[in-house]
Amino acid sequence: MNTFTDLQLDALRELANIGSGNAGTALGQMLGKSVDISVPTAAVLPLPEAVAIAGAADELRHGVVVPIVGDLDAIVVLLFPDADARTLCGIYGIEPSTPDGRSMLGEVGNILGTNYINVLAQMVAMDLEPAPPQVVEDMLGAILESVLIGRGGEIDSALILDSALVVEEEECSLSFLMLPENDGIRQVLERLGV
Amino acid sequence: METVVRMGEAAASRVPDDVLACIGLGSCIGLTLVDRQRGIAALAHVMLPESAQPDPPQPHKFADLAVGALVADIVAQGASRPRLEAALIGGAAMFQFGGSGQDIGGRNEAAVRLGLDRAGIPVRAAATGGGKGRTVRVRVGKDITITVRVAGGADEVLLGSPTPRLAVV
Repeated sequence: MNTFTDLQLDALRELANIGSGNAGTALGQMLGKSVDISVPTAAVLPLPEAVAIAGAADELRHGVVVPIVGDLDAIVVLLFPDADARTLCGIYGIEPSTPDGRSMLGEVGNILGTNYINVLAQMVAMDLEPAPPQVVEDMLGAILESVLIGRGGEIDSALILDSALVVEEEECSLSFLMLPENDGIRQVLERLGV
Repeated sequence: METVVRMGEAAASRVPDDVLACIGLGSCIGLTLVDRQRGIAALAHVMLPESAQPDPPQPHKFADLAVGALVADIVAQGASRPRLEAALIGGAAMFQFGGSGQDIGGRNEAAVRLGLDRAGIPVRAAATGGGKGRTVRVRVGKDITITVRVAGGADEVLLGSPTPRLAVV
């Protein structure tokens, strides 16, 4: 069953907080700007509502998907509204919908994903590593639907750890979603003792 | 009225100018059944090729059960079973995850087509496969119209009259 106690969700939220903090610091170093991170949310949502967490289903998003492999199967998803992707790529003088732009967004995904899971891996003593990022430009609903179904496992609901990152002075924000597979997250909670 | 059919859900209508929609289909399939003579339509948002259990709470979620469930829905609205026609939208492969997640879109489409074939329902139109998400809208009424849109694109008519009907004043 896909249910967690409040204490467990609090623990997962704290993990997400530390992970996204570490990821934001790394992104800030790459960009030479400060990056703010919102307090993450941790929630178990029915799949149709999980799709709605990041906006309207038909909104255009640049999505970077980083599969996490190792002791825990998970998928990290970054979602940039079009204007924000343009701002971010514009720091380097490139457009998001070009090979260079996709490469740049993929690299951002790589840095954020790697730094997020590295701290997670240390805290729970698991062996985790990111697979190469995949970059798409599509409707939000189509991106999240494909990710949620493609990860396998539980298909009625999904545990989502959601953080928002804001690059200061640039008015650029993105959603950072961590979608762990269920059995794996139980192991994480066991190791944390909650 | 527009009814948005979310993952695993379905809707049917015989009310003229009602719209049934799946917004942002990725690897899922928008399965549409129509009785064009009576102007009745039904739409299911199919997620996965097969159900692990024979009688799940949401049969429209699974390709192997969705056809039968949706036929029951549209017949309950007054559609004629032998006149039913189908259209398929979605089933894209947006990512390569490998493993069990591989090409769920293609497997969804194959499973829905098999179900339609067994039910003797012809597929009149399809916009499936590829790597892009799609939105489908089915306009109910005398000229049932199915339009499909990809991200950033315009509505394209998949089935029905190519120009919108003019309102009679």
